[in-house]
Amino acid sequence: MDKILRINMGADGGPEVKTEPVGDYAGMGGRGLTSAIVSKEVPPLCHPLGEDNKLVIAPGLLSGSTAAMSGRISVGCKSPLTGGIKEANAGGQPSQMLGRLGYAAIVLEGKPKEKALYKVFINKDGVDIKEDSSLCMLGNYDLVDKMKAEYGEKVHCISIGPAGEMKMSAASIAFTDMEQRPTRHAGRGGVGAVMGAKGVKAIVVDDSGCKTREPADPENFKAANKEFVAGLKKHTISGEGLPAYGTNVMTNVINEAGAYPTKNFQLGQFDGCEKISGETQAELENARGGEGSATHGCHRGCVIRCSGTFYDKDGNYVTKQPEYETVWAHGGNCGIDDLDAIAQIDRLDDDYGLDTIEMGATIAVAMEAGIAEFGDAEAAIKLVKEVGKGTHLGRILGNGAAVTGKVLGVERVPVVKGQAMPAYDPRGIQGIGVTYATSTMGADHTAGYAVASNVVGVGGKTDALSPEGQVELSRNLQIATAAIDATGMCLFIAFPLLDQPETFQALVDVINGFSGASLTADDVTELGKSILKNERDFNAAAGFTKIDDRLPDYFKKEKLPPHDITFQVSDEDLDQVYNF
Amino acid sequence: MKNQYVAKLNLIVPSDRIHVYFSLLRHGFMVETRVGCSIKTMLCKALGLDDNYVEDRIKTIFLDAKPVDDISTVCINHGSVLALSGAMPGLAGATLRRGGQLASFRGSISCRSDGKNALSQDGHVFVKLFNVLVKDLGPILLKKGILIKKVQLEDFFRRMPDDFWRDLKSAYLNDQKISLNIWSEIEFSDIMLLIAEPEIRSKKSKR
Repeated sequence: MDKILRINMGADGGPEVKTEPVGDYAGMGGRGLTSAIVSKEVPPLCHPLGEDNKLVIAPGLLSGSTAAMSGRISVGCKSPLTGGIKEANAGGQPSQMLGRLGYAAIVLEGKPKEKALYKVFINKDGVDIKEDSSLCMLGNYDLVDKMKAEYGEKVHCISIGPAGEMKMSAASIAFTDMEQRPTRHAGRGGVGAVMGAKGVKAIVVDDSGCKTREPADPENFKAANKEFVAGLKKHTISGEGLPAYGTNVMTNVINEAGAYPTKNFQLGQFDGCEKISGETQAELENARGGEGSATHGCHRGCVIRCSGTFYDKDGNYVTKQPEYETVWAHGGNCGIDDLDAIAQIDRLDDDYGLDTIEMGATIAVAMEAGIAEFGDAEAAIKLVKEVGKGTHLGRILGNGAAVTGKVLGVERVPVVKGQAMPAYDPRGIQGIGVTYATSTMGADHTAGYAVASNVVGVGGKTDALSPEGQVELSRNLQIATAAIDATGMCLFIAFPLLDQPETFQALVDVINGFSGASLTADDVTELGKSILKNERDFNAAAGFTKIDDRLPDYFKKEKLPPHDITFQVSDEDLDQVYNF
Repeated sequence: MKNQYVAKLNLIVPSDRIHVYFSLLRHGFMVETRVGCSIKTMLCKALGLDDNYVEDRIKTIFLDAKPVDDISTVCINHGSVLALSGAMPGLAGATLRRGGQLASFRGSISCRSDGKNALSQDGHVFVKLFNVLVKDLGPILLKKGILIKKVQLEDFFRRMPDDFWRDLKSAYLNDQKISLNIWSEIEFSDIMLLIAEPEIRSKKSKR
């Protein structure tokens, strides 16, 4: 991965392609690279949908190799949802393919002078860009079928649906999975709207004739990768819980903790939770059967396989197995306890190209405003269809919970920096609230996801049972997560790292065996810090202040049942998170 | 509950269908036990769990919706709800893990011992089993029998599809054989003892 593909969509005479060496960006990947390019090359005060913004798509450092779990891909830009820097990442096949084609990143720049829609085809021979108005307003599923018919059965796609074309702030970018379905999304922050603003409907990737990236030290790399895979498989979370029940295994547990945001964050427990739990979902999927039903990977090289495939009662494919966040957003948060309805909405989100978290949060806000009743699944489906059609109401909803709350006059709008909160109420789990408040990305549970931060050497030991230290822990987690995001590794590797020192060592050996470097724990810390610093500096220059590092006021005032608790971390403490 | 009439419903099911009953264990069942003791004592004595199993597999515990860290000191009371889970993924999963590195993240809702000696007496607690623990313990507990509220069992039967009844091999109410498709006519007690055990196949039928 020694080159960057730059496409200037605003060049005179049509899109201009330039391939250049990675140069100063050498050694960076994933979020490390997207955030470096955005912070260096995008004017912080530019309009997110304007010609000066850039959309950066970067495979992880190890993508394209045989390293297990290395198929994540990052998308970066100035976010139309938050107004700050954004990195959203996804699984799927394109990351590995771009890695094998040698691209460290694709950068979409400029903006077409006329309204036009383009498709980009990339293979070993180069890059071809064509205008194609027949793609206008196609859903991701039809679009991918059309691309397969045109470019062959082995291609994979990076694409936007109608939401991206309409430049909605909840628009995602889809990446095709192993079955060439557009089910893996860089969902958060409206990255799909930026791709739409660039006039790019699809990037079609074909890595035929390309070889797997070779490690610098093949022998040690192979041995370490084997050890790493064994570690993942033997751990109770990555080897047992996640494959059997998927991420939705969290539903019962978060509900039991009283931290399951229910009916637009009004309650901490949902009566219908068991009907939509991961255990129930897995039992339903196993009973219905079908290829890859309850246990399936989101990309080749995944050994955890926390995903699956959702079929209807007649055995027809509906969507991939909806994840915990999706089941919560469109389920408990809207008072809906019907897995079939949730799966149907997930399919619509994927087809229109929408972030499921943002859309679920938005519909719950609309329900609170009286647009529909909590628990009314049919009404929720209709509202998502309004977004896909681009009706006036749909245009409002498609721009997320913050916009919808303003338009409909709702006070209880669970957002930070304009981005909707995920499936954990910060009053129940206050440390996650610290991360929601202070993340450079807006409310984001994955921003502090690297639960093994202490093991990877960030921060050191903190007293587990001390009520203090939440700020320090959140800081350490955010640093460690930024570093893992740069590798292209799935964040779920963090659990075996937390419990099995030999698996952490195996991961270090995989990275060093591949790169030929001698990475230390200090290097991990410095990498994470430098990424966060880039992002923080960009946001400051874009006008963010400490006032933006706050949860909405009502979290400090409204008590959440059953614990009847408010968010209690002080503003002064929140302001210490970036004190490094 | 001591003097309360408890009807016994014994269902014989195909061994590959036992998991159908797991949702009852996730909803929660009653366990008659000594209360006023530690959670660990209750798990080992009333549920008969091995000490190593408790330490190695039960990584997430809630007592009345509060995450527990020290199961040796936190006492269980009459009527408590005890929810048990394996280690969970995600930042939240790590946060809720007992004694975990991130326990301070949910310090405001954690369950702590009040340091007082609770009264040791007979009582009952409601137990919920989630995820990998249901897979491990479900078949054993269902074979031993679980105490379950009538309303919950009726709701469970009501939700079952037709093939649930077709799959049943036999059913007994208070040791008397009953029809397999007239559950709505069964005289339920307010609390039921439900036993669901796999059919034992004879060598002949295996062939």
